[in-house]
Amino acid sequence: MEDRPISLTLRIVAGIMLLFLLAPVLIVVPISFSADTYMAFPPSGWSVKWYVAIFQDPKMINAFWVSLALAVLTTVLSLAIGLPAAYVLVRLRPRGSEAMASFFTAPLLLPSIVLGLALLVVFATFGLLGTFQGFLAAHLVITLPYAVRVLSTALSTLPRAVEEAATTLGAPPLSVFFRVTLPMMRNAIVATSALAFLVSFDEVVLSLFMSGPRISTLPVEMYHHVENEADPMVAAISVLLIVLTFAVVVVVDRTAGLSRTFVK
Amino acid sequence: MLHVPVTGSSESAAGEGFLSVRGLNKRYGDFIAVDNLDLDLPKGELVAFLGPSGCGKTTSLRMIAGLVPATSGRIVVGGRDLTTVEPYRRDMGLVFQSYALFPHMSIAENVAFGLKMRKVGRAETEQRVREAISMVRLTGKESHRPAQLSGGQQQRVALARALVIRPSILLLDEPLSNLDAKLRDEMRNEIRDIQQRLGITAIFVTHDQAEALTMCDKVAVMNAGRLEQLGTPVELYEKPQSPFVASFIGRTNRFAAVAKNGAAELAGLSIPTPAGMTGKVEVMIRPHRITLSAPADGAPCHAVEGVVTRSIFAGDILQYEVVAHGATFLVEQGTAAHERPLEQGSPVRLHWLMSDTYVFGAAA
Repeated sequence: MEDRPISLTLRIVAGIMLLFLLAPVLIVVPISFSADTYMAFPPSGWSVKWYVAIFQDPKMINAFWVSLALAVLTTVLSLAIGLPAAYVLVRLRPRGSEAMASFFTAPLLLPSIVLGLALLVVFATFGLLGTFQGFLAAHLVITLPYAVRVLSTALSTLPRAVEEAATTLGAPPLSVFFRVTLPMMRNAIVATSALAFLVSFDEVVLSLFMSGPRISTLPVEMYHHVENEADPMVAAISVLLIVLTFAVVVVVDRTAGLSRTFVK
Repeated sequence: MLHVPVTGSSESAAGEGFLSVRGLNKRYGDFIAVDNLDLDLPKGELVAFLGPSGCGKTTSLRMIAGLVPATSGRIVVGGRDLTTVEPYRRDMGLVFQSYALFPHMSIAENVAFGLKMRKVGRAETEQRVREAISMVRLTGKESHRPAQLSGGQQQRVALARALVIRPSILLLDEPLSNLDAKLRDEMRNEIRDIQQRLGITAIFVTHDQAEALTMCDKVAVMNAGRLEQLGTPVELYEKPQSPFVASFIGRTNRFAAVAKNGAAELAGLSIPTPAGMTGKVEVMIRPHRITLSAPADGAPCHAVEGVVTRSIFAGDILQYEVVAHGATFLVEQGTAAHERPLEQGSPVRLHWLMSDTYVFGAAA
């Protein structure tokens, strides 16, 4: 792509768009430092008491650990299932692999409220509602399509000849996969991990259906909190989540290159 | 179908070669990619698989390497039947057109890969890697990544990586096609040198006849999945055994004629045809074997009067188009400093030796 000078009008339009997209997020930051007992903008005074409040709220802290564990496990399982699935779909191409590829990505197309309702009915029969395993299974339903997509695309652009070279040099199939194929997919694996982690950590709709009195995730707890209270603690949590998201994006950018990983 | 036995060299006369391929077939549904290939290659020779794209040369190579399963046939190397052996147990070195280096490994790690797979000890690995890298003149680049090297250097790494495992056969799949012309000539000599120095048996797949003729001991010309002829470059050039070989190797004049009573008529001449040949035939004469004066030693030749219809000066050669008795001949002459090209419309007399006239039964 060549760099062309961008006209002033375009810059202004782009600036307004960016502001429009970021304004709600930016407004959360001052509110989180509010000294008021309710969310209002601008705050009448400044304080960090709502950040302190988060750590004094065992419900929130519990929900955070659940969300973190859930996001990490979902990420690991997405890779563990997504990689072999992508390998089969792209490399081994069994009969009906195209149909399977569509099947794998189908949950992306469904409204999550529909998915949530369907999972509610199914999980209720198996007693999975309100359990960690239930959350995990539900989150995998929405992270796997991303994982399979990103990994398949990456795999299909890998030159076969490199793997064949490893084969002729004496590497049995498993060695070829672990020593050549996998390292060459590094960028896609980083991207998949970031996507799966963020999608799982941010997930609200499905989690609302899955949660029960004993277990809940951070976004669900935040939702319930906002329903009952109007204090700025949720804004403080939101700021921490923005920082976390930003950190993940920075890690991806540093290890694999952001545009290289997501744009391709 | 033409099945041509190994011709020429004496060491191959003793039955099976070092590499012996028998009745090798590859079918994709109804499509026949390789049709009943028989080959015997002696140890230490560099043999080209030459042919147009889609002739089956790369598929044959990949079947020998084991990357493509053969539909039927047998592959034996040094007395060991490899037909059903997995590709990673065949001990063959393969060099790809696209280099196919491991992008996430250094040059030294790339070269060491095959030794690591063979669980060669560390000291020996280091020594062999060092030797292989120095053989392809890349000492000092050990810690570089492939992307930091030029195309020619990358291909030399690929060569070192394939040779360091001391393969029974070196297979080269169009290794020079991605390089620019100047580098190609250089690499051609380098590959040939190394191959001769190591005395390794090698197969070189190419669509470039200059590559095949100039660097290989023998050339297997393939067309439409079949081996048309296997022979030395001289044999292919001087004794083509099929119209395809005659027209594919070097330039040639092709004329359609009809054989009757042991002769075919061409430009008012009566060209003798092999015994028993009747019906449509093809007569071929190399453009540079046609002379404008009669051979000095009085060797038996054909001669015909014609007129120059086009005259092209191409630096090292002069190309004439000559029409004689309704037939158009392409004639090539070496240029000499004192000579002036003939002008259009000049009358000429064309001569060529009887032995330079090839007659083939028309291809089916």
